[in-house]
Amino acid sequence: MMTPDGRDEIEALIAQTALGNQTAFSQLYDATSGKLFAVCLRVLTERAAAEDAMQETYVKVWKNAGRYQVTGHSPMTWLITIARNTAIDRLRARNVDHDVADYSERLAAPGLSPEQSAIANSEAKRITQCLDELDTDRRAAISGAYLQGKSYQDLSDQFDVPLNTMRTWLRRSLIALRECMAR
Amino acid sequence: MTTDQTPDDMDVMAAEYAMGLLTGDELVEAKRLAATDRTFAQAVTDWEMRLATMTDELAPVPPGPAVKQALFAEVFPASERQPWWRKLWVWQAVSALSVVLLVFLLTSGLGSQPPESGPLYTAEIVSDAGDFRVVAVVDKSTNEVFLTRTAGAAPEGRILQVWAHGEGEPATSVGLWPEGDTIRIVMPQDIAAVEGILTLGVSEEPVGGSPTGSPSGRVFGTVDIPGVSGSI
Repeated sequence: MMTPDGRDEIEALIAQTALGNQTAFSQLYDATSGKLFAVCLRVLTERAAAEDAMQETYVKVWKNAGRYQVTGHSPMTWLITIARNTAIDRLRARNVDHDVADYSERLAAPGLSPEQSAIANSEAKRITQCLDELDTDRRAAISGAYLQGKSYQDLSDQFDVPLNTMRTWLRRSLIALRECMAR
Repeated sequence: MTTDQTPDDMDVMAAEYAMGLLTGDELVEAKRLAATDRTFAQAVTDWEMRLATMTDELAPVPPGPAVKQALFAEVFPASERQPWWRKLWVWQAVSALSVVLLVFLLTSGLGSQPPESGPLYTAEIVSDAGDFRVVAVVDKSTNEVFLTRTAGAAPEGRILQVWAHGEGEPATSVGLWPEGDTIRIVMPQDIAAVEGILTLGVSEEPVGGSPTGSPSGRVFGTVDIPGVSGSI
């Protein structure tokens, strides 16, 4: 993640981008495209597909920069979420209505909640540490859903358990994860 | 999917929504909640932030330079490739608005000088959702900008702030707009000196204005005013 200084810089660049400043958008791209490309590459594995997803990601960033503050994200997680969702949408090769446009219909966050501050805090436990506390299968299921866009059906096939069992598993794992990260 | 859900159920649903695991009715319900339930919307964002840390260990990989070129060609098409109807639409809107504004300026007494004393540029700033509209008139004879709010407002306890920049320049604050439907602001020297495309924008900010020198709240929208020049 970015250092606190980097965070302010990225935030300022997003704000300038929201005002239509092309130079700021170019600087934002230079500062963040390596990370977002790594995210797209992790999801899509092929370089050409990842580059297409990344181009689409930044088009969304350009168009939606004015909404960044409304969502209550930290700047890098906002960008990573757009990149991840765009790459997953492409991976699934179907247009699930799940991309940054959803923010336009999401209620504005009143400010950083205590929980968000904790999440943004560099001392907050990283999800990877907490994932390590889960069983291998459950860890693989959460990672498969987030980074490979697997559906409940995909996961139930992969682990050879009934669909409803898979759902219960994953939901319990998510609760355990949240509790671990809040500890 | 009703009010008998426990907070845990809601939070798990927010996580499933953030991961894209929901389908059918559940997806519809989650979208509805994200748009109407502040706690749920917050929970989705919280999960997106938690889940994004899964990418922490991914080391940056430089993309090929062609990606940036293709991106910029897509986002900033050369102006001659701009569809003619878009320009026509803009000019129709501008001409209708300028009539309204001239009447407003002449009758309100805000116009300290007759409008024919220098170039006047009119434009409208509209949010994507259409819930916020401001009509702007830039008077180059006095280097003032007149703004009139025709829809929307800053949220309770916040104010509006006006921003501007020239082409490729960083946006700077033109001034605060704490209250009222109209305001007249003298443009700072840097903005008054802009020739060519002048971009105006409005954001909502804390009462003292943005603490960062750039917008810190929602940017309602921006508008490009082409061909701005100081001389008549």
